[in-house]
Amino acid sequence: MDLLLCSLLIYLLGTMTIIWPHKLEMTAHYAGTACAIIASGMVAVISICYLVMPVGGLLVDTDWGSYSLAADGWSSVFLAITGIAGFFISIYALDYAKGYRGSRIRALTGLWNLFLLSIVAVLIAGDAFTFIVAWEIMALVSFLLVNHEADRKETVSAAYQYMVMTHLGTAAILVAFYLLGSHSASFSFVDMMQNTLDGSLKHIAFGCAFAGFALKSGLMPLHTWLPNAHPAAPSHVSALMSGVMLKVALYGFGRFAFQFIGMDNIWYGLIVMIVGLLSAFLGVLYATMEVDMKRILAYSSVENMGIIFGAFGCGMLLMAMHLMPLAIVAFTAATVHAFSHSLMKGLMFMSAGAVMHATGSKNIEKMGGLLKKMPYTAFFTLIGAMALSSLPFTSGLVGEWLVLQSFITLAQQAGTPELRLLVVLSFILLGLTGATALGCFVRLYATAFLGRARSHIVDKAHEQPFFMLLGMGIAAVLVVAVGILPDSVVNTMQMLVAGPMTAPMGNPLGIMWGGSGHYAIYSPVIILAVTLVITLAVAIAVACFGGGFQRREVTWNCGTVPTERQQYSATGFSKPLRRAFDSILNSQRRTEYIRKDHDYFGRKLQVHLEIPDLFTEKLYKPIQTWMISSSSAFRHIQEGSVSLYIGYTMIAMIFVLIWGVM
Amino acid sequence: MDYLVVFLVLVVFLQTRITDLRRAVICMASQSLIIACACFWLGLSYSSGFHAFVPGLLTLAVKVIFIPGAVLHLVGKLTNEREILSESNVNYSTMAAALFLVLGYALVERLLPGSAGRDIVAASILMIMTGLSMMVLRKRAIIQIVGLITLENGIYLLGLLLTQGLPLVVELGVFLDVLIAVVVLVILTSRMRLSFMTTDTSVMKKLKG
Repeated sequence: MDLLLCSLLIYLLGTMTIIWPHKLEMTAHYAGTACAIIASGMVAVISICYLVMPVGGLLVDTDWGSYSLAADGWSSVFLAITGIAGFFISIYALDYAKGYRGSRIRALTGLWNLFLLSIVAVLIAGDAFTFIVAWEIMALVSFLLVNHEADRKETVSAAYQYMVMTHLGTAAILVAFYLLGSHSASFSFVDMMQNTLDGSLKHIAFGCAFAGFALKSGLMPLHTWLPNAHPAAPSHVSALMSGVMLKVALYGFGRFAFQFIGMDNIWYGLIVMIVGLLSAFLGVLYATMEVDMKRILAYSSVENMGIIFGAFGCGMLLMAMHLMPLAIVAFTAATVHAFSHSLMKGLMFMSAGAVMHATGSKNIEKMGGLLKKMPYTAFFTLIGAMALSSLPFTSGLVGEWLVLQSFITLAQQAGTPELRLLVVLSFILLGLTGATALGCFVRLYATAFLGRARSHIVDKAHEQPFFMLLGMGIAAVLVVAVGILPDSVVNTMQMLVAGPMTAPMGNPLGIMWGGSGHYAIYSPVIILAVTLVITLAVAIAVACFGGGFQRREVTWNCGTVPTERQQYSATGFSKPLRRAFDSILNSQRRTEYIRKDHDYFGRKLQVHLEIPDLFTEKLYKPIQTWMISSSSAFRHIQEGSVSLYIGYTMIAMIFVLIWGVM
Repeated sequence: MDYLVVFLVLVVFLQTRITDLRRAVICMASQSLIIACACFWLGLSYSSGFHAFVPGLLTLAVKVIFIPGAVLHLVGKLTNEREILSESNVNYSTMAAALFLVLGYALVERLLPGSAGRDIVAASILMIMTGLSMMVLRKRAIIQIVGLITLENGIYLLGLLLTQGLPLVVELGVFLDVLIAVVVLVILTSRMRLSFMTTDTSVMKKLKG
């Protein structure tokens, strides 16, 4: 019996909690979550073993007629991502989901297992049919999970928006599969690799596949479901959706790009790269404007998926120029960043859940000073925030460094000045993205955890139960471990995309890349050592010579005692950026006086700030308006009058007769 | 047979111009009578014996006597004068009928050139289209029933000509169909008269949710 199929069976066992008796709902929850933990751990171990030693097969040949399961290196990376993220998020869910006691917790746990099961099934599907079925189960189960708190109106609307959008994506993927399958021997992936698709049909297939997978991974302009669905879902579900489900879309797109469509066309890579980079920049820009913690993280997912797809597009461009040895850096960057994003975004959504659990709110403007109330959570969040803003010693920088290296490589190799200019501009955009991400997470962390409490909801905040901290802790340890010793992960990913023949980029000291013309080295170990030495030296110096200049004072505030309302608010913190990019953001500010007795004193005012989503306003709303108006025009055809219907029959008959006469 | 076709076309044209309910029903009965005559005549000319007379007799019984009788009975109950006179401008209907006749002839010329029964085919197409247009354009329920019967007669005539007599079971089925449809329609119309005090079908729009 295959171990991977075994883990699928355990997931299935966990799904059975749906039908447990109501009295035993907590037992059902524990048992189901334990199933998810065990099965995810198994998936992680199996796939990592396969990645380290790719001998034999991940799956013993499972072939049922025209349907089959198959797993290769590309799927095992994503299986590892699923397994690891599923493992620590499930541990977190053990305590987190307790909050849903009495409100369909059995369904939550059961669907959680089914969700993980469907993700694994997508990754090991060996033909288009199995893939689509698993993909659709994944979409439906995640819809149900997003819709779990269905008694709130915004949850339901977010869930249905997600449902509609994700089905559009599935439709596009179906078209792509249909086109490919009709030009190959069968719909199995092995046969589809030898497809004979050519010309404009190939362009259509590529466009559909890219649109479908970009929608699922939340690239702009198809991202609109994402910032609504993530805050609506329970936190561990958002963590899994953002950490893993978005990567599954990358898996699908990678399979199309590597195996089915090929990368000969330079436009394919260019489109993917530009869409990815624009999503990265706009995503982080919107993230910086939000005050809802989970919406910030959701937009940050848009950003990171944008970076990943940008790197992937960069690799596709290098492949189109037939520079296979150099393209590996880009694909390695994409996979490494996908892996590290699954860790850090999982971590951050978990800590958002912890904060919500403690304060009952997602609005960071109401928080502040949580560091003292929940120190462990604050520490783990700090690591996650550092990783997402790609600071050293975290996995975030490893991926981002490789992405930057791949762009430098591309700029170096670009044949034409136009392409080089474009790549240089992309590089600048990427730098801007990184800087904005730093600002975004400084803002998030500082507003929520530092300073003083902004409202009374912080007062009752408390540290989280053990398993929630354990889940976050595992993720945080992994983030730091990959950040300090990146060589194993980088080498594994490199071996996967390039084969075992190439010289590995990583060694115990760090990562090196010589493809960009210069020898680039990133060594977290050396940086860590230098930092430690400097810190130690400063500490010793302070201990020996200083010590006298430490005094505690209240901040000087023009003679008054500073209150918590005088702290930087999150909105205020991001105002310079909002002003700078107002042409894109188009923010709507409205000031309202509640009381105004005098021009300067005794006045009370309310400021409403709205930042409409660019694509919702400029793309989706016009389409929506047009669709509604055109359907109401069409409605006159269907008036409900019987004589009108008979009239249609008559007109049809006259047409047939006239046609006969002609 | 040619005279029959001429009478038939005349009756159909007359039908498009009639606004009085009672006359419309009588017109329909005479139209059915002509169809019955055509039936007998075809039966004689193909000399298929007793089998040919059954449809004719059935037409006589159902479409000439029973249905007009039932509808006339219904009309007799409509006391309101405004009800009995129909409303719309009938010139357009007549012109449309003329167009349908041209269309019918054009169709026959193309599809069945040199066929013996070209007048009959053209007349039946005229009847089908006129019946349909009566059902669509007129608002009185009774006129719509008349339109249905006209349509039915047209189809029946066409079938009669093209197949030289359908199998008996099919003929019986068709008559049963028409009979039941008309019975249901008459019942519905009389219910409608009781509920809405009118047989104008446009008031039924009120029922829409």
